[in-house]
Amino acid sequence: MLARRALLRALAASVAAAALGCGRRERPVRRDGRVVVTFWYAYGDLVRKVLLELVARFNASQSRVLVEAVHQGDYFECLAKLRTAIAAGAAPTLSHVVCEVVPYLARARVLEALDGYDGAGEIPFVPALSQQGAFRGAEREPTFCIPFNRSTPIAFASGRLLDEARVAPPRTWDELLDAARRLTRRGEGGEVRWGFEVPISWWYWVAMVGQAGGALVAPDGALTLGGEAGERALRFWQRLVRDERVMRPPPGRDYQAWQSSNESFLQGRIAMMWSSTAFVRYLEDNARFPVVAAPLPRDVRASVPTGGTMFVLLRGAPDEEKRAAWEFVRWMCDDEQTIAWSTRTGYLPVTRPAVDKLDARGWYAAHPNDRVAYDQLASVDPWPWVPELFRVERDVVEPRLEDAVLTGRDAHAILDEARAEAARPA
Amino acid sequence: MNPRARWHPWAMLGPTLGLLVVFFLVPIGVAGAGSLFSWDLLTPPRFVGGANYAALAAHGELLRVALRTLGYSALVVTGTMTLGLGLALLLDRPGRFFAFVRASVFSAYVVSWVAVALLWMWMLDGNAGVVGQLLRALGAPPVALLGDPDAALPALALVGVWKLTGYAMIVFLAGLQDVPPSLLEAAALDGAGAVARFRYVTLPLLAPTAAFVATTSLVTSFQAFDVVRIMTQGGPARATELFVYAIYEQIFLNLSVGRASALTVVFFVLLLAVAGLQLRVFRTRRGER
Amino acid sequence: MSRARRLPLLLLACAAAAAWLLPYAWMVVTSVKTLPEIVARPTAPLPDHLDGGAYREVFATLPVARYMGITVFMAVAIAGAQIALALPAGYALAKLRFVGKRWAFGVVLACLLVPSQATFVPVFLLFAKTHLINTMTALVLPFAASALGTFLVRQALLSVPDEIIEAARMDGASEWTIVYRVLAPMLKPTLVSLFLVSFVFHYNDYFWPLVMTTDDAVRTLPLGVALLREQGTGVRWHIVMAGNVVLSLPVLALFALVQRHLVRAVSARG
Repeated sequence: MLARRALLRALAASVAAAALGCGRRERPVRRDGRVVVTFWYAYGDLVRKVLLELVARFNASQSRVLVEAVHQGDYFECLAKLRTAIAAGAAPTLSHVVCEVVPYLARARVLEALDGYDGAGEIPFVPALSQQGAFRGAEREPTFCIPFNRSTPIAFASGRLLDEARVAPPRTWDELLDAARRLTRRGEGGEVRWGFEVPISWWYWVAMVGQAGGALVAPDGALTLGGEAGERALRFWQRLVRDERVMRPPPGRDYQAWQSSNESFLQGRIAMMWSSTAFVRYLEDNARFPVVAAPLPRDVRASVPTGGTMFVLLRGAPDEEKRAAWEFVRWMCDDEQTIAWSTRTGYLPVTRPAVDKLDARGWYAAHPNDRVAYDQLASVDPWPWVPELFRVERDVVEPRLEDAVLTGRDAHAILDEARAEAARPA
Repeated sequence: MNPRARWHPWAMLGPTLGLLVVFFLVPIGVAGAGSLFSWDLLTPPRFVGGANYAALAAHGELLRVALRTLGYSALVVTGTMTLGLGLALLLDRPGRFFAFVRASVFSAYVVSWVAVALLWMWMLDGNAGVVGQLLRALGAPPVALLGDPDAALPALALVGVWKLTGYAMIVFLAGLQDVPPSLLEAAALDGAGAVARFRYVTLPLLAPTAAFVATTSLVTSFQAFDVVRIMTQGGPARATELFVYAIYEQIFLNLSVGRASALTVVFFVLLLAVAGLQLRVFRTRRGER
Repeated sequence: MSRARRLPLLLLACAAAAAWLLPYAWMVVTSVKTLPEIVARPTAPLPDHLDGGAYREVFATLPVARYMGITVFMAVAIAGAQIALALPAGYALAKLRFVGKRWAFGVVLACLLVPSQATFVPVFLLFAKTHLINTMTALVLPFAASALGTFLVRQALLSVPDEIIEAARMDGASEWTIVYRVLAPMLKPTLVSLFLVSFVFHYNDYFWPLVMTTDDAVRTLPLGVALLREQGTGVRWHIVMAGNVVLSLPVLALFALVQRHLVRAVSARG
C-alpha cells in the first residue's frame, strides 16, 4: 500500500510537473510578492460580470493580495466541487455557499471561524441577512459566514397584462388563485399564456410553508417539514397546476427552471411569476413592459426565507491566505462595493449604511421594485441551524415536490414518506 | 513459443495487469466494503451494516432506478438496431452520395456527448425549441418534452438513438459484406423477391452481427450519464435518474459515500449479468466466423 | 436498377442525411445569431446577419486554447500509453507459453466488462487519499492500460507467424526490439485504429474529468463547454452553441481526415 502510494506520488509528480504543475499546496501561493487567494464562485452572465469587475477593482486597489476567481458552475455544482476538493485536500481559500448548507459544513469542521479576524464583529450588517439573523438557534455558534449575494423570493408581474385584465398584484393565496385564473388565456392551437409560474423547488415551498403558518423544524428539533402547513403548501400547488390549470411548472431542475421562467416571463408567455430579487435588474432591463414587483402573498401570515449565498473561508487553507481572503471579504462589505454589487444585480444590500446611502441618493424612490424587495425583509423567517437540513432539502424533499405536483401523488403520503426519510441517518 | 527468460511474460504483462487490477478489480471490492459504512467524506465513517441497501430499497427507489435504466436501454437498443439496420440496407450502395450519407450518420458517433446533449437540449427546449415548433406546426399541442415526467426519458432515449445509430449502421454494413452475393443471386433465380431474400438469406446471416450490436449498445446505454447530467439532472420528479447518475448524485451531491458504494455494487451485479450475455455473444460470433 | 425504383431510395437517403446534418446546421445557425434575435424569433432558420458575438464571448469566458491543450495532451497520453502497454502484454498473451497465462488473460477479459462508471467511487477515494485529484495522473493513469487494446493486439498477433519472431531472435534482437520494432510496424493498421478510437473517446470524455478534477488548471474542453450552460439569468443558447461548435469542429475535422480508420476500428471490434 505504502509502496503503491509512493509510486503513484512519484508518477503524479513527474506527470504533473511535465504537464501542468498542480495538486495540493501546503504553503501560501504567491505571485509577484502578492498572496494569491483562490476564490471559487458560482455565477454566470450578468452577475459574473459584475463580480469579476469588482475582483479586478480589488486587485488594482492594493498590492498585497491577488484574488483569482474561478468559475465552478451553479451553486450546487460548485458546492459539490467544494466538498470534493475539501475531501481531496485541494480546496480553495474562499468560496460562497447557500445558507442551508452552512450548519452542515460548520459541523464537519471545514469552515474557518471568523470572529478573530480584523473587524469581524463591527460590520453593520442588515440583521436579517447576517449569520445571526439568517439562522435560528445559532446564537452560540462562532461566525462562519459573511453575507454576500443575498436575496428573498419575490413576486413579479407584467404591468401590461395586469392592467389589461384589471388585476392588482395578489396579496393572499386566494387572490393569487383568482388573479391567475383571470390572467390565463388559452389560444386556438393549444397555446397557453399562463397566469402564474413558479419553479417547483425547495425555496418557494419553504416560503409557502411559512405562509401557511408552519415551520420546517419543531421547537424540540424534530424535522416536521412544516407538518400540516407543508401539506397545505403542496396542495395549493397541486390545485394551481392540476385542478385549475392556471400555473405551469417550468421545465428543468434547479436554476434551469428559474432561467426558463425568466425567459417565458420576458416573452410574455406568463403573466405572474415568483422568482428571486436577484433578477430585478435583469428583468427590468430586458422586459418590453413595466415589471411590477410585489411581496409574496400571505396565507395565514407573511413569510419568506432568505436565499443567495454567504462567503465562507476554508479552514484548511494556509493562514496567510485566509487573512488575505478576509481582506477581500471585508472590502466587499464596504459601502461602495455593497452598493455597486446590489444595484447592478438586484441582490439585497447587506449593510445598513449602504441602505441608508442608497435611500439618501434617491435610489429607492427611483426603483420602487428594489424598495419592495428590501421591505419584504420584515417578513423573513430564519433558517433553522440544523446540519441535516441540507441533505433533507436535496435528497429528500426536492425530488418529492416535483413528484407531488407533476404526478399528483397525495401530499400527505409524500410528506410522511419524506419525514420518514429525513429521520433516517444518512 | 517459450519465453527467453521466465520473468519475461510477467514483465510484459506487469504494467497492464497491475493497472487493470488496481483500477478495475480492486475498486469493486472497495465499493463492497464501503457500502457497509455511512460516510460523507468530511467526518469519520461509521459502520452501518446493510442500512445503505435498506435505505436505497425503501419505497422501491432502487428498483425504480434499475427498471428506469433498463427501460432507457431497451428504447435505445431497439431504436439504434432498427434504424441502424434500415440505414445499412438503404446505404449499402456504391457512389459518393451514399458514402456521404453514411459519413453523416456515423459522424454523430464521433462528436462528444456533451455537444450532442447541449444541442438536443436546445432543440427540445419547451419555449423556443425547433422540435416543439415543428410539432406545433403539425398540430400537436405544445409540450416541453424534458419537463414532462412521462416524456423526458423517451426524449433522452431519442438523443441516445441519434448518437449511436451510426455505430450500429457501420457494424451492420460490415456484416452485410459477409453475405455472399452468390447466395442472393441464387435466391433471386429461384424467384425469391426482395423481401423474401432479406427475410430468408440476409437476416439469418446477419443474426450474429445483430446480437453483437444489441449487446454493445446495451452495455453502452447502460452506462449513460452525460445526457442525464447535462439535460435533466435526473428530473423531472426523478423520471430520468439512471444508474450512473444516481451514483454520482449520492457521492457528489448528497455526499453519501456509503450509498454511492451500495449503488455501485448493485450496478456492477446488473452489469455483470448484461456483460455475461455479451461475452456469450462474443464467443458465438467468433465461433461462427 | 431502374430510375423509378431508385428515386424513393434517394429520397430516403436524403431524409437520413437531413436527420443527422440539420442538427449541426442548427447549432451553427444559432451560434451566429444575437441574443435579442433568439429571444424574439428563436426558430428563424437563418440569422438576420452573421454575428460573431457568441464566439467572442466563448473565447472571453473560456481559456479555449488552454482547455484544448489539456484535453489533447490527456487524450494523446492515454492513447499512446495504451498502445505502448498493450503491445508487450498482447505479445505475451498471444505468443509466449507460461504458467498463469489463462489466469492473466481472464483478468484482461474481465476488465473488458467493467466500465469506469462502475469503479469511479473507489478510484476517486484512492486519488483523494493520495492527493492526486486534479492531476494529470488521475486523468491518465486509470486508462493507461486498456483491456480492449490488449485484447485486440493479442488477436492481431495470433495471425502473425512464429517464424518471424524466431528469425528476429536468431538475429539477436531483444524481446523489446521484437515487440516495438518488428511486430509493431506489422500491426500498424490495428494500432492506428486503436489510437484514433481511444483519442476520440478521451477527447470527448466528460464523465471522468468531471469526477476527478475540481480545479480550473486541469479542466478539459468538454467540461468548459458544459459550464457555458451556467447559472445565468436567461437564454444564452447562442453562446452555448458557439461553444459546441468549438468543441466539435476539431473532432469532426479529424473524422473527415481519418474516417476510414475509425470505421474500420468500429466494424472490426467483433
